[in-house]
Amino acid sequence: MTILEFKNVSKIYQQGENEVHALKNVSLSVDKGEFIAVIGPSGSGKSTFLSIAGALLHATEGDVILNGINLKDVKPKELSKLRLKEIGFILQTSNLVPYLNVLEQLLVVKKMAGKVTKADKEYAKELLQSLGLEKKMKKYPEHLSGGERQRTAIARAFMNDPSIILADEPTASLDSRRAHEVVQLIAKETKTRNKAAIMVTHDERMLSYCDRVFRMEDGVLKPDESFTKGKSQPVLV
Amino acid sequence: MFLAIKELKHSKLRFLLIGFITVLIAWLVFILAGLGNGLSNLSAATFKNMDADYVVFEEGSRNSMSRSILSESMIDQLKEQADVKDAAGMGATMTTVINDTDVDEVKVDAAIIGITPGSFLEPKVIEGRQLDANNPLEVIANDSLKDQGYKIGDTLKIEGSLEELKIVGFVTNETYNHIPSIFTTLDKWRAVQYAAPGSNKGIEDPVNAIMLQGENINAENLSKSFDNTDIVTKAAAIQGLPGYKEESGTITLMLAFLLAISAFVLGVFFYVLTLQKSNQFGILKAIGASNRFLGRSIVSQVFVLSLTSIIIGILLTYGTALILPEGMPFMLDVRLVVIYSLLLLVISTLGSLISVRRITKIDPLLAIGRVE
Repeated sequence: MTILEFKNVSKIYQQGENEVHALKNVSLSVDKGEFIAVIGPSGSGKSTFLSIAGALLHATEGDVILNGINLKDVKPKELSKLRLKEIGFILQTSNLVPYLNVLEQLLVVKKMAGKVTKADKEYAKELLQSLGLEKKMKKYPEHLSGGERQRTAIARAFMNDPSIILADEPTASLDSRRAHEVVQLIAKETKTRNKAAIMVTHDERMLSYCDRVFRMEDGVLKPDESFTKGKSQPVLV
Repeated sequence: MFLAIKELKHSKLRFLLIGFITVLIAWLVFILAGLGNGLSNLSAATFKNMDADYVVFEEGSRNSMSRSILSESMIDQLKEQADVKDAAGMGATMTTVINDTDVDEVKVDAAIIGITPGSFLEPKVIEGRQLDANNPLEVIANDSLKDQGYKIGDTLKIEGSLEELKIVGFVTNETYNHIPSIFTTLDKWRAVQYAAPGSNKGIEDPVNAIMLQGENINAENLSKSFDNTDIVTKAAAIQGLPGYKEESGTITLMLAFLLAISAFVLGVFFYVLTLQKSNQFGILKAIGASNRFLGRSIVSQVFVLSLTSIIIGILLTYGTALILPEGMPFMLDVRLVVIYSLLLLVISTLGSLISVRRITKIDPLLAIGRVE
């Protein structure tokens, strides 16, 4: 089942007199339970791609269909609601709210939608447990290691039970061991919870956990032919 | 509310400092309000205490007691008018009295207020007895005279007059033109005020003003049917007291500035905090927080902080009132406290709206592609 579909999507930024083609005719579809990676040098359009997939930016041309909804048809005011319901973001480290403890980081997502029920609390605890954070629930971000912070971010992304997980450089500022751990967890949660996931990264060590890999260059998205799943040996954690 | 409270608890020092400034502002507002109220009370308490709705002045006196002179004979006619429930004349004179009983003969400035004993203008005594119409040599005085050693039974001499008056009772909170009031009969007052022959301009039984009771009085029509009169509300008459308008105007201006400054200070503080947290708000927005959710969080934060600060400010103010020197005209009633508290609360919450405006402009895109 297709969760996210890009149909000939282009994005053009107007910079003074010049037009910058950040995305050129990108087509892609991601299925449930699939974990794909988009790699490429900085400035290649990866962030633009992720922002469009995450309903933060509108495509200039083409259609983006998320869980059956064409993002073109969503009113600007409804976008935050859509993100809250359909999308789980995993952002770079230190993107947690500094004054909330680990458990509250998850619950605030539910607060945004309305009230926190007892079931929500249980679900949050279960998520944290499956990410190995059950002992850190009352800790504030300043008392967590980089890996723990990122694991909290993963749990937060799954908290609203989204259709798709979007990870933006989740391994930035993590050492190699922690980076593997984090990507492995994203892969694991994606599979067990049957979600679609897209990871944007420049860290090629992490690709072995992904089902498919795409390479972005100058706004053009192409499947990475050299990639076969599980080729590079993951570091055991 | 969730984010607001969590953040308040987490960044205690930061919010403590902002709260401290708000406390100081609230404190200053209440003290100034109390002093202003005390001062205006000092200058007009006797007038304010009078249970009257309208005041009849001489035409052209521009609502000033000291410029107005009317004949008391008008009262009977006034009483017959529809809507006029009662009427009574009064007169006021600033003078100096000497305590004749005391060996030191302490001189005190006082306002001699002439009234008809038993009329609605006569204040209730807290000590001693009321005025007696048959005994024109008796007076009742404001209890602040006790601080100068005056007692019931003391005899007073009014400077420039030979008559001896006897204090038979004390009233409280009766001051006029910043000095204590001494109530006497109209006749005795006339003897002081119009001692010089001809100073009453030939008017028989002169009074300064006639106070009217009756909420539905049509002042304009009434003043047309009586020659040579101006009829105004009591509030307007208070404004006409010498120096009253100027005094309360000064205080009001200071208070207005203070309130405006407090709105600005709080507004700017929270605006700077909001700017600092732009990235954080961007991330929350990317996750799915609406402008409403984040805006509410800021407003409730300011609200909680202001409310707490105002309450502390009120406590400090009453604490200060306890140690203020006796003669300081400080008077803060509950009504005034409530009004200024609400005003401060509304103003500070309004100040937080510039932060809310800022939040709506934060782009959730801030969250993406930012490697630290």
